[in-house]
Amino acid sequence: MDTGEPLGTWQQVGYGALGVVGTGALAELLVRKDIITTPGFPVPSDVISKLGTLLGDSIFWTEIGFTFREWLLALVMATVVGVVLGGLMGAFTKVFIAFELPVEVFRVLPSVALGPILMLVIGTGMLPLSLTVALACVWPILLNTMYGVRATDPTAVQSGRSFGLSNLGIFFRIKLPSAMPFAFTGLRVAASIGLIVAVSSELLIGNGRGIGGFILVRTSQASDLDLVYAATLMAGLMGIAISMLLTVVDAKVFGWKKGLAQ
Amino acid sequence: MTETLEIVNTKAELVLDGVSKSYGANLAVRSISAEVPAGKVSVIVGPSGCGKSTLLRIISGLDTPTEGSVTFEGSPVTGVPEGLAMVFQDYSRSLFPWMRVAKNVAFPLRHLKPAERAERVQEAIDAVGLAGKEHLYPWEMSGGMQQRVAIARALASHPKLLLMDEPYASVDAQTRADLEDLLLAIQARLGITVLVVTHDIDESVYLADHVIVLSAPPSVVAETIEVDLPRPRDHVTTKTDPRFVEIRGHVTRLLRGAGRPADDGTH
Repeated sequence: MDTGEPLGTWQQVGYGALGVVGTGALAELLVRKDIITTPGFPVPSDVISKLGTLLGDSIFWTEIGFTFREWLLALVMATVVGVVLGGLMGAFTKVFIAFELPVEVFRVLPSVALGPILMLVIGTGMLPLSLTVALACVWPILLNTMYGVRATDPTAVQSGRSFGLSNLGIFFRIKLPSAMPFAFTGLRVAASIGLIVAVSSELLIGNGRGIGGFILVRTSQASDLDLVYAATLMAGLMGIAISMLLTVVDAKVFGWKKGLAQ
Repeated sequence: MTETLEIVNTKAELVLDGVSKSYGANLAVRSISAEVPAGKVSVIVGPSGCGKSTLLRIISGLDTPTEGSVTFEGSPVTGVPEGLAMVFQDYSRSLFPWMRVAKNVAFPLRHLKPAERAERVQEAIDAVGLAGKEHLYPWEMSGGMQQRVAIARALASHPKLLLMDEPYASVDAQTRADLEDLLLAIQARLGITVLVVTHDIDESVYLADHVIVLSAPPSVVAETIEVDLPRPRDHVTTKTDPRFVEIRGHVTRLLRGAGRPADDGTH
């Protein structure tokens, strides 16, 4: 029965909140009424009160900061490599042929599995974690940039040539700028993937740092599942905040993409 | 060869000498020889699919002829020559959507100092009547305004030769008339050489000092016609001038003879 009318901002916020609160309330009800008796199933009210405690814990904030910096470093590395390599692969057939197979092979490798190896090679600290995250983040950026470059309007390229631009000039001044909205879409996808991989690699190969490390350390001392849920929820909230920020950046910086010919 | 030398000695800015282009077995243009005199408006007119755009791409150095040669200011064209600017039919695709109008117009001027560049941009934008629109994006403008931006961008590079490929084919009739007059006004003021490709007979005669009529593919030059209509021209006076009607009729007959067999002879 959808009329197809777009909803107002406050209506959207309202329905969204209703969904979140409703799901929480339903879970609460199912546990409280003993319909779900599985041990360890999260009780929303307990998780939220735990989250409240966590937010007052300065160590937790330090670890959020660690995860954030680890994620940011990974994203910067993935963006540089993804845009440069993806751009070159999109623009130059020789580069594409040379890198097609390595990209296809590395793309399907689970980056978290590479984490322990990276740690053996370069030691502990933030770098092996960031590299693991970057290995997962680079693909959407690389592929989007590549397809974006390929989708450059041939008339725009011809215009550039008619002003005497060389192949390299065409690449840097026309193809790459034209592909930027695509690359940014890849970056938005990569940002969410990156946060997931960051927390999971901290859990798997970390040394007690980051949100994942925090969960690991606290639960080894006492099995406090609510704390695990609360920390995970915090990672999720962080993801939502980043995603919202990137949506705003997209609209501000790449609003011109509606001018790209279809 | 002696013929070519004679031509160079006259005031021809651009010389086509036996230009042919084939794509595989498909011959697009066949042995085209023509001259484009300096400081004049020349128009190539021909039926659709006669290889007009191919010819323009060859002249601009974006494509190479299978046979024959193109000479611009006495030197053979091998790549895009200095002093040439091109306006495409597809304005919305040839302008860069990530740049505002001023940046688009400044695109060919990267080698200049910022102050000089700003001056050139302003001069070009003023010339096409877009002052005050510098901060818009091209896609925020109407088709006619976008084509003005494309013309401004071409003018900003101070070209000696302005090539236009069906420049007004995608705008409405009124805008088209305005843009034709804009082109004639700018050409008269700057004295640049203009070469326009069109399929529109009225437009070709209205704009041109001389019209190069192409035949159906594989195209040859059917005739070159001097248009001795007085300037400045305007859409009412010029187009009702008996001489205009006469020349237009002549070009139409050439194109009908050159094109596919006349449909039914009622015209």
